[in-house]
Amino acid sequence: MAFKVLQSGLFTTIQDEGRKGVAHLGHCNSGALDIYAYHWSQKLLTNVEENALEVMVGLKLEATKPTTIAITGADLGLEINGAYKEPWQTYAIKAGDILHFSKRITGQRAYLAVKGGFDTPRYLGSFSTTIKEGFGDKLKIGDTLPYDATTGTPPAKVKKEYIPNYETLLTLHVILGYQHTLFSNKEKEKFFNNEYEITLQSDRMGYQLSGEGVFAKSENLISEGIAFGAIQIPKDGQPIILLKERQTIGGYPKMGTVLAEDCYALAQRGPGCKIQFGPYTIK
Amino acid sequence: MEFKQVTLNASMLYFEDSISEEVLNRVQHAFHTMRSMEGITDITPSYTSLLIEYDSSLLSHETLENLIKKSLQETHSNVTTQQKHIKIPTDYSKGEDLGSVAKYHDLSIEEVIHLHSSTTYRVYAIGFMVGFAYLGTLSSKLFTPRRSTPRAKVPKGAVAIADHQTAVYPQQSAGGWNIIGHTDFDNFASFSIGDSVEFVRI
Repeated sequence: MAFKVLQSGLFTTIQDEGRKGVAHLGHCNSGALDIYAYHWSQKLLTNVEENALEVMVGLKLEATKPTTIAITGADLGLEINGAYKEPWQTYAIKAGDILHFSKRITGQRAYLAVKGGFDTPRYLGSFSTTIKEGFGDKLKIGDTLPYDATTGTPPAKVKKEYIPNYETLLTLHVILGYQHTLFSNKEKEKFFNNEYEITLQSDRMGYQLSGEGVFAKSENLISEGIAFGAIQIPKDGQPIILLKERQTIGGYPKMGTVLAEDCYALAQRGPGCKIQFGPYTIK
Repeated sequence: MEFKQVTLNASMLYFEDSISEEVLNRVQHAFHTMRSMEGITDITPSYTSLLIEYDSSLLSHETLENLIKKSLQETHSNVTTQQKHIKIPTDYSKGEDLGSVAKYHDLSIEEVIHLHSSTTYRVYAIGFMVGFAYLGTLSSKLFTPRRSTPRAKVPKGAVAIADHQTAVYPQQSAGGWNIIGHTDFDNFASFSIGDSVEFVRI
């Protein structure tokens, strides 16, 4: 035994860096949606290729063994035995402690790692839960998350300059490498000069945006591989940013690809939040 | 051949902009040649192109382009050695849409079954869901549009056709393809780009 799940929260899964080398079989990469925050959760504990919980809000756990946790990403009002704890640092945990992600303060997704990682199954080499592929499931009340008991892990904290601010207006930098010639200059101007809003149809597969419609010259394209961050624009003209659980191939027109690090920041914005696009030139 | 960078760690290799068996052979060859290259983390082949993802600390778009050009020239012969032939035992007796497909083409059910099971197909792409192989090319007498209303549940093992392609559903899912048969075949992970596939009537 280790962590007992007292409340499952909105949507909590185990994630790591995702699956590699299996896209040709139709498997998505999966993995932490905000790899930047995920990496810090591992680095703070000097974990190597372990895993973390990707937490939205509401998760409540009881520890049955001592460990040290790292908490990064969104500030979801983590309370340990009722006392608020800031993210982007480690906390020592003892048996009987109650951890509760009580409310959303900033950001959408927090990463909770334990020293040495959770001892959960790997599927095709990765710990990442991918429900649609039958790899694991979201946490449920009564689940247990095993880990090895540890004490004496030195405390660590991320320096302020490395902690992102999720409240600013996010500019998604776009590499126009893919199929941008399918869009006229007029359509591109609309795309780069308007703000878009994140809709409720936003999850680990992709973020559907809403705003000024952008239309491609042609719609029937030969299906091809889809990169992380690809901006797909279906018939209705509304962009979708494709993320970790995207389909591996698809035939919708693509404006370009959002830089990976901007996708990590996007994963910390929720429905109703505004974003804008900006061009990016590869040096 | 065109090699386009799509993001900092991924590039697209395009061969042609139309689908043919000759282009598929080149995609298949490129896939097998590049699979073992150091620094490449994932390759997604599909019809006329390959998405190549790589570790950008080991490879750049430019070095990869040179490597690919060189290696595709060097090993232009031994493609067929990589190709599997997969047989799919198929029960055509309960194909839900067999009747409507026959009617659409003004063929008998027997003729539809014969046309479907006497063609050898190739895997042109894998996607939509894990293990879903797009198999081409149907006899032109069987080109059939998708159902106007997709089914909420197409069962696992359904053998179906849409447009110029056929496929087996690797798991239950929603789908708009026309179901003409069923199979117990379950080795969906064995499909690889370019493999040849045959439906054997049982």
